[in-house]
Amino acid sequence: MASRFRSREALTGYAFVLPAVALFAIMGLYTVGYGLALSFARWNGFTPTWTWVGLGNYLDLIYRDPAIAPVVQGAALRTLVVMIAVPVLTVLVSFPLAAALNHITRLRSTFRTVFFLPQVTAGIALFYAWTYALQPDGSLNYILRHLGLGSIAQPQGWLGNPGTALPTLIVVMVLGSVPVAMLLYLTGLQSIDQSVLDAAKVDGAGGLRAMTSIIWPLLLPITGAVVMLNLRFALQDFQTFLLMTNGGPGGHTLVLGLESYNLAFVSGFKPTLGLSSALGWILFVVALLLAALNLRLLRSRA
Amino acid sequence: MGTKWCGGRVLAVVAALAMVTTACGGGTGSGDGTTLSMWTFKQTHVKALEAAAAKFKARTGITVNVSAYTPDDTFTSKVQSAAASHNVADVLEVHAAGEDRVLGGAGITSDLAGDVNDQYKSRFLKGTADTGLITDQVYQDSLKPKSTDPGVQKGQLLSIPFTAGTFGVIYANKDLLTAAGIDPGKAPASWQELISWLAATHAKDAQNGGITIGLKSSSTGLDWAMEPLAFALLGPQAFHDLYGADKSKAWGSANGQKVLEQYNQLTPYWTPGTQTLGIDDADRAFAQGKAAFDIGGTFTISAIQQNGMDPAKILSFPIPAPEGSVAKDFKLAPFALTGLAVSAQTPHRDAALKWLDFLTQPEQAGAFAQSALDLPGTDLGANAEKLVGPYLSSMEAAFGAGDSAWNPGDSTFKGSTWDIQVAGDILVKMSPLKELDPAATNQQLAVYNNSVHSGQ
Repeated sequence: MASRFRSREALTGYAFVLPAVALFAIMGLYTVGYGLALSFARWNGFTPTWTWVGLGNYLDLIYRDPAIAPVVQGAALRTLVVMIAVPVLTVLVSFPLAAALNHITRLRSTFRTVFFLPQVTAGIALFYAWTYALQPDGSLNYILRHLGLGSIAQPQGWLGNPGTALPTLIVVMVLGSVPVAMLLYLTGLQSIDQSVLDAAKVDGAGGLRAMTSIIWPLLLPITGAVVMLNLRFALQDFQTFLLMTNGGPGGHTLVLGLESYNLAFVSGFKPTLGLSSALGWILFVVALLLAALNLRLLRSRA
Repeated sequence: MGTKWCGGRVLAVVAALAMVTTACGGGTGSGDGTTLSMWTFKQTHVKALEAAAAKFKARTGITVNVSAYTPDDTFTSKVQSAAASHNVADVLEVHAAGEDRVLGGAGITSDLAGDVNDQYKSRFLKGTADTGLITDQVYQDSLKPKSTDPGVQKGQLLSIPFTAGTFGVIYANKDLLTAAGIDPGKAPASWQELISWLAATHAKDAQNGGITIGLKSSSTGLDWAMEPLAFALLGPQAFHDLYGADKSKAWGSANGQKVLEQYNQLTPYWTPGTQTLGIDDADRAFAQGKAAFDIGGTFTISAIQQNGMDPAKILSFPIPAPEGSVAKDFKLAPFALTGLAVSAQTPHRDAALKWLDFLTQPEQAGAFAQSALDLPGTDLGANAEKLVGPYLSSMEAAFGAGDSAWNPGDSTFKGSTWDIQVAGDILVKMSPLKELDPAATNQQLAVYNNSVHSGQ
């Protein structure tokens, strides 16, 4: 009797779970499987059949196709720069910002709202606003010139100079990432047991010592999460690059995410959807390895 | 309680209506036998097409519902997904000499060769009628492994011209020309004279006296400016050879160097930041007086006008041939920019063909051009000025044909995997970025061209 009740209960449970599982199977597993299969094929998105090429797409991307591989290699290098710069700068900006906000008592919520505003503004609006501000006659150059810093201003615009285009995009990405990272750090800071800090103070630790020897180590898991989130963002982001520079000028801001998009949708109907999918899977594997590495580092610290 | 039930019933009715409406809107795409659906990737064409559809309904009783999916990549993915679910619109406005072949080769759109005879074709601008035709050259290219249009068959006609035009048209601001001491009454006679004009307008106003183009899409510098210049300078055969496999004549050769040195003369005169501007941004900058010259195509005039510039203040002319050019009497050949294709899945093929016929009749094509500010593929003949106004008709008058005419729609002499974006990036590194000189640019284009030929 009891076992019949248990199995009926289990069936009810399965019935409740089934819609979600079915949805995941269709929207998740099917598309993932489809994408994986596509990475082994040549297809332009229209013909009824695919041409199977085995690992050809992966080899073409990495070294074999002399027309594509150099472009991908250049994009990989720029992606690496972004992957290092964005997480590091995000931590360097958001942690002190959160610590400062944690210290002040007046206007804390006002400042928190101000710093979080970019996060609630639609990305596309932000990108366009930045693009206008960064033009040769944009507000950034205008401000610099009126502050007597005209020598720093960029006559070709901050996105038009090959030397400043990628660093500028990195800064835009970092400013977009700081709000969430700051909020995570703020949450972490507010959850630190005050008695630990008091004990440190009694032992003679100053503000800097407490920060470096107590607060920072205690917040390492949050730093790990911030780094991980931004690594993924830096690896897979393409919309920032598409909307602000389209990979230009002269390909100087072409990254792997944008190249994958270009191969899928802007290839002049060439049969490169499989290449795009293969590039997507390469990015996925890299992201997975980085996540595993991050997890291992965090565990060893713990 | 009663109120709750009433609310519930209303909600149920609204939900049911919504479901019915959704089912109608997203159903087979071809309606009930007298309703056609048409998709375009050009938002600017929608109003003009809807006006045409109203006239068409009054004449034939057939309804046409027009939808736009923009930008181009959104349209592409819409057609891809609709084709997979057999839900493509009955009629498509597609990129001619490219997308029409891809869709036709995939069996998504149908062959119009049996429906469009020579008399039908005679209504189109000279040189554009066969843009959607699968010639022997196109068919042979389609057999290559990485071809863009596998599946096409020789003799198929996969689209008919809808709008036409050409690249390589320069627009100049007459007021800025006058201010720089240049007579805006006639176009420059040569490339050298154009450069001297640029020097004058730039000297007058370095910030706003330059030339612009939407180099955020780096291919524009290549195929809107450099290629017509190269064609004029070298003549058709040597121009085609630049993209061939013979290294003594292709990029990297003396001919390539000659072309790049001429093109590099533009470098001092680009408006600041032109490499960050999209195509629309560049046209807007010109219309706002932030550039004295704008390079585009015949279609650019509508964008400039929409941005508020009076056409009377514009001098337009084809990219002028350099002195000593091989192509004498250099002209720009018109080609079909967009074409009309009929779905292979439509159950209303006859109605769709009637719609195509209606849209491409001179009277209707003129009305479309007036409304959409776009040049139709239909030859408007002597009525051009009356139908489309003086500016668009003057563009039509500037077209040419034959050996001296550069046809940007013909890419059959390039390697099938040639990517104008990659080549455009190399050119941008020379001009305006000045990272490469003409020799290094020539070398990089040679490496890329060789890689295209070896990777096919």
